[in-house]
Amino acid sequence: MSEAVIDVAELTRRFGATTALAKVSVSLPRGAVYGLVGANGAGKTTLIKHILGLLRAESGSVRVFGLDPVADPVGVLSRIGYLSEENDLPGWMRVDELVRYTRAFYPAWDDTYAEELRRTFALDPAAKITTLSKGQKARLGLLIALAYRPELLVLDEPSSGLDPIVRRDILGAVIRTIAEEGRTVLFSSHLLDEVEQVADHVTMISHGRIVLSAPLAAIRESHRVDGHVPSLEEIFVAHVGASASEPDS
Amino acid sequence: MRSPAAAIAWEFRQRHRWGLIVLAGYLVVLAALKLIDPGWTFNMDSGERFGVVVMGPLTTTFLYVLTVFSFGLSSDVAGRPSMYPARLFTLPVSTTALTGWPMLYGGVAMAILWLATRFLAVWPSGFDIPVIWPALTAVTLLAWTQALMWVPYGVRGLRVILAVLWLGTIDSIVLLALQYHASELVMIAIVAPQIPLACVAARFAVARARRGDVPDWRALFARSVRTAAVPAKRRAEFASPASAQAWFEWRRHGWTLPGWTAILLPFELALLRAAGSSEALVFLILLGVLITPPFMAAFTAAAVARSNPSVSDSYGLAPFIATRPLTSATLIAAKLKAMIWSTIASWALVLVAIPIGLRWSGTWPVFTEKMRQSAEFMGALRTVVLVLLILALCIAATWKQLVQGLFIGLTGRERLIKGTVLFAVTVFSVLGPLGQWIYDNAGVQRVIWDALPLILAVLVGAKMLAATWVAARLWRSRVVSDRTLVAGAAGWCGAVLALYGVLAWFLSTPFFPRYVLMLLAILFVPLARLSAAPLALAWNRHR
Repeated sequence: MSEAVIDVAELTRRFGATTALAKVSVSLPRGAVYGLVGANGAGKTTLIKHILGLLRAESGSVRVFGLDPVADPVGVLSRIGYLSEENDLPGWMRVDELVRYTRAFYPAWDDTYAEELRRTFALDPAAKITTLSKGQKARLGLLIALAYRPELLVLDEPSSGLDPIVRRDILGAVIRTIAEEGRTVLFSSHLLDEVEQVADHVTMISHGRIVLSAPLAAIRESHRVDGHVPSLEEIFVAHVGASASEPDS
Repeated sequence: MRSPAAAIAWEFRQRHRWGLIVLAGYLVVLAALKLIDPGWTFNMDSGERFGVVVMGPLTTTFLYVLTVFSFGLSSDVAGRPSMYPARLFTLPVSTTALTGWPMLYGGVAMAILWLATRFLAVWPSGFDIPVIWPALTAVTLLAWTQALMWVPYGVRGLRVILAVLWLGTIDSIVLLALQYHASELVMIAIVAPQIPLACVAARFAVARARRGDVPDWRALFARSVRTAAVPAKRRAEFASPASAQAWFEWRRHGWTLPGWTAILLPFELALLRAAGSSEALVFLILLGVLITPPFMAAFTAAAVARSNPSVSDSYGLAPFIATRPLTSATLIAAKLKAMIWSTIASWALVLVAIPIGLRWSGTWPVFTEKMRQSAEFMGALRTVVLVLLILALCIAATWKQLVQGLFIGLTGRERLIKGTVLFAVTVFSVLGPLGQWIYDNAGVQRVIWDALPLILAVLVGAKMLAATWVAARLWRSRVVSDRTLVAGAAGWCGAVLALYGVLAWFLSTPFFPRYVLMLLAILFVPLARLSAAPLALAWNRHR
């Protein structure tokens, strides 16, 4: 493993009386897939928003590619591909307009790759985004997050509420991304079977605290009982348990 | 809450309680002032005074109530789908109840608004103002607005056109009846039957919307759409990320102001027909035309300054925009640039429409004669400069209206935004009576005139203090580069000096000392609020 792409140290964030993140420290080296798992409200999106610079660190520090994402949003965001659970693509644009608009921000935009993705995802370039289904919007979001081959791909609950075919596309994109050397994926989800399929390294978060962070193989090995290798879901339940369902952020 | 009726009422009350409290407070304060000072200060015997103190705030509140009860703040007014909130369609109540309760609450609110105004604000004037038919007219206008807003349309923008035409027609009928001194009974006969008709139309609209029946007439325009699509495919790449963002802002908000201007101009210029050879009327109408873009810009600005245009009740910045690899200053620059284009487009319409309107109405000779007289009186050059100066100030005021609220709207802080709106409404409500009081009191006018330099100096001092604070914050936070800061300051100084130069040349009279002109120039050219916009956006973007 080489230098850290993401380096979060002692990050604490409160929203009123609620502590969303409590002294979280994470360091993600380059070139692997990181699964960030936790129950709804555990703090996954809050952590990702800090990485993107959408939240300012109240205490502790966040560095992405060695840069502060709040102080240098251009330096950080131009190297990140981001697919949000909210999928707030502007509905008034057409697919081709969104592609034309987005490519202006990324000098490394690959037209051939973008067109390949568009065909794979069966997106009509003349279709208005507002007329697309939720799955089509997710695919379009994925297209514009991938077409410039970002160094870091951040997927925040990308599969939420999507059908198995779209989820397969998203996982395929993750696999394709990591097939290219030196690129990193941060994949947040509460669908543990998906994370288990693609992640090299898993970080479990609960009530704003990291409860477990290690390579997936090592986690499995350390939880082996009488020759039985537990699934990630079993490990998650063992660590987070019933308290995971209590929302805290 | 034990019934759907109570739940719907609670939602209206909860979301808009502060606006309603301010309105009630204004009326009570007005009534109290009249009780304290029943003399000349706040009586309503003058038409102008009545207009300023009662009709101004009443009209503002009427529009507010109209918007609230038609759910006009909940979605895109130009969009095809119904503006009735779709989340209410799944409630286990009949369509009649879904339609009826908001109409009933709105109708009652409108009636109370009028009756409260009639008895608290008008009393104890000598005006003989009717009680029933104005309340019924307000209820009718609300009911038709609700029906028109809740209908799903086949084409985008059709709702706005139909609403302007239909509500304008109702207004015209009422005004025509008044012109012919129709009795109260006749007025009631004209207005009252429309209420059940509007209710039936609204019920039909909500029923269609509830079953997802949105007509689609876009195929009728397929040919033009296809034609429009061809050049889009051939469009070149954007020269830079900044130009892509400016295009985004232009497409998002740029057409709104030219669109409103294009809708209103024909109605305004049509009035020239009625002006005949009356010079006063012709120039009054032209004045109305000239203030249309800055006036409408004040409303358009609310949308431009919104952080997240795609979510009606969200104040935070949309992640799609927040994650653009651009600095906050570049995001603001794109907005400013798009609003320059929007201003230019609106004024191009005005400048083309005025000569056409004057020619078409036969009032062109009235206009040219006045210009000839002005040229004789003050010289051709000064006349040309005066016209150009008025145009330049109107154009600058339009752009200023569009962008000066960015520093509040882009903070994304709900309390700050709502508090500012509340403050602005309160100030405007107080300004009316205050202005009238000054207008009626020659002694006060003398005091103000004598203190004018001091008042202007205090305002300039406040502006420069605010600008210094903003500049220091910008410099410390590195939201804008040093070069941009220096260039912005130099540009501002240049604009102030240019305006001062024109004013000093034009108003070379002992009534206006040069330093007063300089203070006016400093106050007119935007600085502190505009400079604060990148700070506001950065505060919102990096929470």
